[in-house]
Amino acid sequence: MIVDQIFRFDDVSLQVNGKQLLNALSFTVNKGEFLTVLGASGAGKSSLLRMFNALSSPSNGSIQFRGSPIESDIQSLRQNVGILFQNPVVFQGSIKENLMIAGRWNNSISHLLDHELRSILNQVGLEEFNLGKNAKDLSGGEQQRLALACTLLNHPQVLLLDEPTSNLDSKLARAIMDLVDKLRRELDLTIIVVSHDHLLMREYAQRVILLSNGEIVADGPFKVLDEQGAFKKVGLSGREVSHET
Amino acid sequence: MRPDFYVLSWNDVIISLVFVAISVILIKKWKLGLENTLLIGTLRTFVQLTVMGYVLTWFFDQQHWAFMLGLLLIMILIASYEGTRRQKNEIPHFFSSMLISLLGSAIFILGTILLFILDVKPWYSPYAAIPIGGMIIGNGLNSTSLTANRFVAELKHREKEIETLLSLGASPKQAVFDSMKASMHAALIPNINSLMTVGLVQLPGVMTGQILAGIDPLIAVRYQIMIMYMWFTTATMANMIMLAIVYRQFFTKKQQLRRELLRENFRSASLH
Repeated sequence: MIVDQIFRFDDVSLQVNGKQLLNALSFTVNKGEFLTVLGASGAGKSSLLRMFNALSSPSNGSIQFRGSPIESDIQSLRQNVGILFQNPVVFQGSIKENLMIAGRWNNSISHLLDHELRSILNQVGLEEFNLGKNAKDLSGGEQQRLALACTLLNHPQVLLLDEPTSNLDSKLARAIMDLVDKLRRELDLTIIVVSHDHLLMREYAQRVILLSNGEIVADGPFKVLDEQGAFKKVGLSGREVSHET
Repeated sequence: MRPDFYVLSWNDVIISLVFVAISVILIKKWKLGLENTLLIGTLRTFVQLTVMGYVLTWFFDQQHWAFMLGLLLIMILIASYEGTRRQKNEIPHFFSSMLISLLGSAIFILGTILLFILDVKPWYSPYAAIPIGGMIIGNGLNSTSLTANRFVAELKHREKEIETLLSLGASPKQAVFDSMKASMHAALIPNINSLMTVGLVQLPGVMTGQILAGIDPLIAVRYQIMIMYMWFTTATMANMIMLAIVYRQFFTKKQQLRRELLRENFRSASLH
């Protein structure tokens, strides 16, 4: 169903300095999906994730967002496709100044009132903090939630997450994934998570794209990939969780 | 005015070599290993300035606007080349960026001084245009070189911040505006500091030169005040024009940060 298709990758490759990072990737992502891209370190996961909001472009092939070329309106695309980086940036200043950062170019954010900002903090589980608190004083996990709140203020349709659990202990990792899943349901988001932690992801994601050396080696639900033994092929087998980044 | 006041002969200049001799002795005593470099520098100062003196005398005799503009253009081209050479980082099209920023600020500031402040007649009189133009270009060169280096350092330091802002829907200019502001700040602070301390700590070069040449100190002071204001404006204008061109070089047409330009080894790698 074309109306539900958010992304369409056709034969997408990426070469950097003569090195082939991604090779002939073709797939689609539908609205409301919870997709995880798994693979070992260096498989090309983060390079792929950056293409979803046009932070980088393919050397070959094409990407469509909602039926149009992804680069037709880049600023609007980036507001629609939010990203949470592996080590999210928190800017100098208070929580409020961080939340209002996109207000420099987005009037709907610059006009937000304090109670609206508090409501977004509530949504990401930071309700106990004062808007005037220095953002740099927040813990790593709290800074991650603040960065998520900044992204949500753009009312994105898609949320990209780059290794969101890599710097967290297992309890906090589960908490952030619970939050992402809750937001997906509440805000009707499409979620694309890059991770190497397939054990955690199988609790949340409906679909896996398994990358190895820049190529898709498997694409489907966890159950099907388990039956194919796909995880073993890329070194993600057993109960062990690889902690490389 | 007393035109014969303290006129230096070539013999006097040769006597001033005693300063170099003192420096060489001191440098040798400390084994700094800089004697040869100092001697080459001494010779180059002598040759370059003497040649410049003859060139200026010839140009001043021509009394034609094309000669004055031609000389200024050559000075700007040399300054742009020198600015590009001094650049520690790879900045695409930096020579043209320097050329446009120096040309733009020199035309505006020199034009204002010649036409409205000094009211020079004819406007192309080289006695005013060349030394003042030289000061504008020289100051513009120093300031823009430092600012460009600082700007790239800011971009490297804030790479993630810039990509975060882009991801939140910022345009490239909005994403690097804090880096531009930080480098402008760093460029203008020394200029503002010199506005604060001028005359208290030292007498500036132009004023000293005029007083030594027998000009009334009150006239020399007025020139110096104008020059101080001119310097600050040169730094502000040239840097703003340069940054407005340079920041674009760090983004693709698709509004993506060219991260490869921010890698430490990019310049040396690209030169081989």
